[in-house]
Amino acid sequence: MTASPRFGERAAVALKDAFLQEALEIATTKFIGLRKDSFAGFPEGEGLRDQARAIKEATLQKLDHYLEQVADNVERLGGHVHWAATAEEARETILGLCRDRGVKMAVKSKSMATEEIELNEALERAGVTPIETDLGEYIIQLAHEKPSHIIAPAIHKTKGQVADLFSRELNERFAADPEVLTAAARKELRQKFLQADMGITGANFAVADTGTVVLVTNEGNGRMVTSLPRIHVAVMGIEKVIPSMTDLMVFLAILARSATGQKLSVYTTLVRGPRRSGEVDGPEEFHLILMDNGRSRQIAGALREALYCLRCGACLNVCPVYRQIGGHAYGETYPGPIGILLTAMLKGDRAVKDLAHASSLCGACQEVCPVGIDIPRMLIALRHRLDRERIAPLGERLMFRIFGRVLASPALFRLGAALGRLAQRPFVRDGRLRSLPLLFGRWTRSRDLPPLARRTFSERWKDLA
Amino acid sequence: MATRGEFLEKIRREVRRAPGLFAASPAARPDRPTEAAAAARRQMAERWPEALERFRQEFERVNGIFHRVAGLDEVAGVIRDIAREKGARELVAWAPGELGLDLRPSLEPQGVSIAVAPTDGRDDARRRHREAAARAPIGVTGADFALAETGTLILISGAGRPRSTSLLPETHVAVFDRERLLETLEQVGVMLEALHADAERSMSGGVISFITGPSRTADIELTLTRGVHGPKEVHAIFVGTR
Repeated sequence: MTASPRFGERAAVALKDAFLQEALEIATTKFIGLRKDSFAGFPEGEGLRDQARAIKEATLQKLDHYLEQVADNVERLGGHVHWAATAEEARETILGLCRDRGVKMAVKSKSMATEEIELNEALERAGVTPIETDLGEYIIQLAHEKPSHIIAPAIHKTKGQVADLFSRELNERFAADPEVLTAAARKELRQKFLQADMGITGANFAVADTGTVVLVTNEGNGRMVTSLPRIHVAVMGIEKVIPSMTDLMVFLAILARSATGQKLSVYTTLVRGPRRSGEVDGPEEFHLILMDNGRSRQIAGALREALYCLRCGACLNVCPVYRQIGGHAYGETYPGPIGILLTAMLKGDRAVKDLAHASSLCGACQEVCPVGIDIPRMLIALRHRLDRERIAPLGERLMFRIFGRVLASPALFRLGAALGRLAQRPFVRDGRLRSLPLLFGRWTRSRDLPPLARRTFSERWKDLA
Repeated sequence: MATRGEFLEKIRREVRRAPGLFAASPAARPDRPTEAAAAARRQMAERWPEALERFRQEFERVNGIFHRVAGLDEVAGVIRDIAREKGARELVAWAPGELGLDLRPSLEPQGVSIAVAPTDGRDDARRRHREAAARAPIGVTGADFALAETGTLILISGAGRPRSTSLLPETHVAVFDRERLLETLEQVGVMLEALHADAERSMSGGVISFITGPSRTADIELTLTRGVHGPKEVHAIFVGTR
C-alpha cells in the first residue's frame, strides 16, 4: 500500500472508500456513546478531569524534579534508566540491548511511543523479530499496515479480511468469526510470549515517588510482556511522569471512561522493577527509556498543553474530520486533532503545513478531553505561525493578508461588502451561492454558502436606532 | 547517547523559561499514609456489607462470576465444582501461606493435582512451576484488595504469589474475605501510599495487578470477545466468617 505524499489526496482516497466510511461511522459513534454513558453515571467525573489537568500542569512546572525522582526510584528498585534525547537514541538503546544480550525475538504490547520511533523497522533491520501482541496491532503487523486509531488500530478492517489474512499467514483456514480469530491469535501469540527474550512496552504513566511504571490494557498482553520474557524494556515520553500514587488514582478514574467507556480497563499493571527474590515470574532486567524527541522544546513553547495528553483517543472519535477520513489519511503516527499538535511537536511546524487545516475548530475535542486540552487554541496559533514563518502557501498567505486588512478597516469592509454583493449576483440560485468561479469553486464544490445580505447589520441598525 | 546530566539540564532550562499555564498542584496526599490506611480499614470494618454488594454488582457487570461461602472449609468445594465443569485435572495455586489455605488435602483425593507456587525462587522450581502454569486450565490466587467501585481484584506479586497464576490459565479463581474490601479508588491510593511509605513492604512484590473481569478485546469489528491473552473466566470467592 503506497499512500500519497499529499494530505488532500490521502483524504480524498479515504472519502471514496465506502467500507472505511461505514467502519468509521460505526466505531466512532459507538465510542462516543460508551464514553457519554460512563460519564453520565459519574458525577465526580467533571471534578476529576479538572484535577487531572491540574496535576499535569503541576508536573510540568517541576518536570526536571519528577524525572530525577522517577529515575532514582527505578534504580533503587534494581531497574536501569536510559536517557534518549531523540528517537534515534531511543532506538539505539534498544538495539544495543538486543545485541549485548543476544535477543532474537521481542514481544511488544501496544505502544504509541514505539510507533513514534519506528522501532519495528529498526529491529527487523537488526535481525530481531518484533511481534505485536495487541490483537489489533497484530492484525496490522501481519497486513504490513499502520494503526488507524490510537486505541482500536484495526477498525478499518473487516472480519472477512482478518480471516483471509490469518488463513494466509498462519497456514490454516479460519472462519470470519471474531471468536475464532481471537482464539487463533491467542494460541499463536501464547507461544511467542513464552519464547521471546525481550518484552517491549510503552507506559501510560510513571509514578515518580515510587518508580512505578503503569500499563493499561484490556487483553492482558501488557501483563504477559512484562512477566514472561527475561528482559523488559519500557519506552516512555518524558511527559508521562506523575508525582504520586494518589495522582495515579485520579487518572485511572477517567482514562478508561474516556477511551472505551469502561470504569477501569481490564488490566492496570504497576511494574516495580525486575523480578524480586523468591518470585516465579518477571524479568531479570528492567529498563526504562526516558525519551525527549522534541517534547522538552514545548515545555516553554506554544504546544505546552499538548504535553498533558493521555493518548485516550476520545478526541479522534468526536472530530468531524477524523470521522470522515480515519487515521491513515493523516499519514503520521498520531492521528486526529491531538495528532496534528503532537506531529508538530515531534517533527516541527513544517510537517503539519496541510494537517493544521484538518480541523473545523468546532471544539468537540476539547470538550471530551479528559485533561481539557485546548486543541482549537493551539491549532489557531499553529496556523498563525505557519503564516508568519511563510510555511503556508503564498496564495493562502496573501488571501488572509487581504482579508485581515479588509476586516480591520470599516471603510474597506463596507466597500468590500458592496463589491461582493455586486459580484455575487450571477451566482445566487434559490437564495444560496451554489457554484463559484476560479479558486472559490473549491469551496462550493462540496457545500453552498449563504449570499451576502442586501443590507449589512450595521446598515439596518442605523434604521432601528 | 545523552547523559543524565545533559538531559536533565535541558529540561531544567526549559522549565525555568516556562511561565506555566496556571497555578496548579498535584493531588493532596495523606500526610501520614499508615494512619490513613488504618482509618480506611476501620471505616471498612463497618461498611463491608455494602461494599461487598457493590463489588458483586460491578464484578458481575464486567462478566466476573461471584461466589459466596460461609467459611474457608467450603472454598475447596467451589473450586472442585469449577474444575469438574471444565474437566480440569490439574491446577496451579499460590503457596498455601499466601492463599490462606491448602487445597491439596481436599482436592487431590478427588483426582485434581495441584501445583503450588514455590516460595524460594530456585531456578529449577521456577521453571517447573512456570510450565505447570502454562499447562493448567485453572489458577487459584488470593487478592490483596477487592475494589467495590469497579469490581476490581488487586493482587501484589511476590514469593509464593506468581503473576502467572492469574494470567496463563483460562480460568482464574480469586479467594478473598471482608478484610480485603475497599470502596473507592481513592482508598486504593491511600493503601498504595501506605505500602510505599513502609520501607520494608515497599520493596516487596515486583508487580501490582489490577484485574477487572476477564481479558477482553473488541479489535475485530468492535465485537466483544473474551480471553484474548489472559483468562476467559474470572471467579471471585468471598469467604465469610461463620
